[in-house]
Amino acid sequence: MHQEGPSAATADARASESSQAGVYSMGAVVRMLGIPAATLRTWEERYAIVLPQRSTGGHRLYSRDQIAQLSFVRDQVDLGASPGDAFRLLDARMSDYARRNPDRDVSVLIILAERDVHAAEFSEYFLRTEGYDCLVALDAQTVMESLAERTPSLVVVDLLISGGAGLDLCREVKRRAPTPVLAISALSSQDDALDSGADAFLQRPYEPIRFISTVKDLLGASAYLRRGTAAS
Amino acid sequence: MSSGSARVDQVLGGGLIANGINLVIGSPGCGKTILCEQYVFHNAAVERPALYLSTVSEPLDKMLRYGESLDYFDTSAIGSRVIYEDLGRHLNDGGLPAVLERVTTLLRERRPGIVVIDSFKALRDYADDVADFRRFLYELAGRLTVLAVTSFWVGEYERDAVDGPEFAVADAILALTVERTAERETRVMQVLKFRGSNFLSGKHAYRISSKGVEAFPRLADELDATAYESSSVRISSGVAPLDAMLSDGYIQGASTLVAGPSGSGKTLLGLHFLMNGARLDEPGLIATLQENPIQLERILNGYGWSLGEPGIGVMYRTPVDLYLDEWMYNLLDEIERTGAKRVVIDSLGDLRASGIEELRFRECIYSLLQRCVRKGVSVMMTQEVPELFGTTRLSEYGISHLSDNVVLLQFILDDSRLKRAISVIKTRGSAHDSHLRQFDITGEGFVLGEAFIPSPTA
Repeated sequence: MHQEGPSAATADARASESSQAGVYSMGAVVRMLGIPAATLRTWEERYAIVLPQRSTGGHRLYSRDQIAQLSFVRDQVDLGASPGDAFRLLDARMSDYARRNPDRDVSVLIILAERDVHAAEFSEYFLRTEGYDCLVALDAQTVMESLAERTPSLVVVDLLISGGAGLDLCREVKRRAPTPVLAISALSSQDDALDSGADAFLQRPYEPIRFISTVKDLLGASAYLRRGTAAS
Repeated sequence: MSSGSARVDQVLGGGLIANGINLVIGSPGCGKTILCEQYVFHNAAVERPALYLSTVSEPLDKMLRYGESLDYFDTSAIGSRVIYEDLGRHLNDGGLPAVLERVTTLLRERRPGIVVIDSFKALRDYADDVADFRRFLYELAGRLTVLAVTSFWVGEYERDAVDGPEFAVADAILALTVERTAERETRVMQVLKFRGSNFLSGKHAYRISSKGVEAFPRLADELDATAYESSSVRISSGVAPLDAMLSDGYIQGASTLVAGPSGSGKTLLGLHFLMNGARLDEPGLIATLQENPIQLERILNGYGWSLGEPGIGVMYRTPVDLYLDEWMYNLLDEIERTGAKRVVIDSLGDLRASGIEELRFRECIYSLLQRCVRKGVSVMMTQEVPELFGTTRLSEYGISHLSDNVVLLQFILDDSRLKRAISVIKTRGSAHDSHLRQFDITGEGFVLGEAFIPSPTA
């Protein structure tokens, strides 16, 4: 079954809608991306490309897509580009993608095959704050159904899902498509996971930053950069 | 995970296991909050901050104000790597579900490495019944377990009342208590549970100072079967005729008990031993609970000696409010710091007065002597015997049995004259002269006379 709440079966449509809805305060963006508030305000005024919505009280509210956009700019600046060049590149990719995919969901989809409801809840939150779209499945059967309907960019598999069906799930994901698989377990099952086709393994508990970094490594780049690359 | 205090870590077998749930229990004022704050400030980092969540037992401002007076408290860390939050409002407004929701939000947004909930016991009162509290614990532990978070649940639980569900959930339980003997109080910590880890069992004294909680792990060394270099070198007692009685002095690294009634010259015999060593480039240390350094200097001056001479160190501690293990660690630290090769402990009676039980006292002395012999440090201990004449018992604590050598000083009434006599009762591993010899104390110190032959009228 799909998890109820923010990640219920109906989440696909809502995720698409909410990826452009303003939900994150400036403080949250500062914490998530490590970009100072003053820099965010300067970029907004100077380049006018990432423009957050405003709450009724006048507070800035950034959408998930905008988090991904700012994350892309930050990465470009970290790689040595000037903020101006980074925003020009962002603008070009946004225009190009919008032209090629006028009606399509632009999110990178990650399927979270999780046994533990709390772990699923946290992982979904951490991934969504990074701009990824998530589909949570709490048993192996639901994962299989989701794979039949959607093509994810990554599958996160708790090896103990459905009484230990995680290794089979890793093999099944890989049999269908060359989708990256991140295996997770409270046990030290690294070798078994890799033998079953997983591309990476994390032992629980892990730090959120490690989880996110591993996801990014497996996807090859930040969510937005990946989308841009795919689009071009 | 280190507490920032090496000896607290030692009690815990090297430190707490990261990402576990730890219950810190104890009566009010025993230092639970201080210990948790030590962990917080020692381990928190900006990218993995520590959350200190107060509930309804102590106002947050008060907690912060007292914390600020402690050395580890880094004001600049507040708001960046250490975040204090008040859960009390959420608890009062929405009960345990609101606490759960708030903690979840903080775990998501702050991504902490440490979470402290103080007081955790106060949360119990907000549950409808035991089952309700169990549900809350299950939900909370579930959230804390899937993330890399080390949790501290702090509560004013009694050490004997550890049957609550939180005690089953916790990976480690550390109890801080105050034990009372007559009018004396001793702070004691004990690990009651520690899943998957070794720790030092039993009770360990600790103190609270501006540095935070400082522990003194129970000095009770197990038999160390590893080899060490055993010395056969003889060192002088500082009194040549006594050396002759001992078959050319003491063996280096040996322990010697000097027993005798008050005023018989025990401290002076110890000073002879130290001064002789200092002049042979063997640093010495007198650990005294009897005379303070000024009194000691006056005594030394009477024999032409001084504390200012190179190679002589003094560790003076008052016997008032003494923690034996703390004193032992102080002594071991001082031996290490000064490189002392000869140590005089004056006196065992004062140490015994720390209120510790006899078996524990013997364990402690045994451990000290074992550590010293392995370092080639010779130890002399003085022990007052109660009888002024005709000693019938050397030591009430079985220390003579642990000592390599025993020297007895006595008063003897001879023809209505009070005389002093010295005899060697025991020398482990060598022969000795068993005669009782008369001695006087002069400006030169000990002056030994002939073997004591009582007058016929005595």
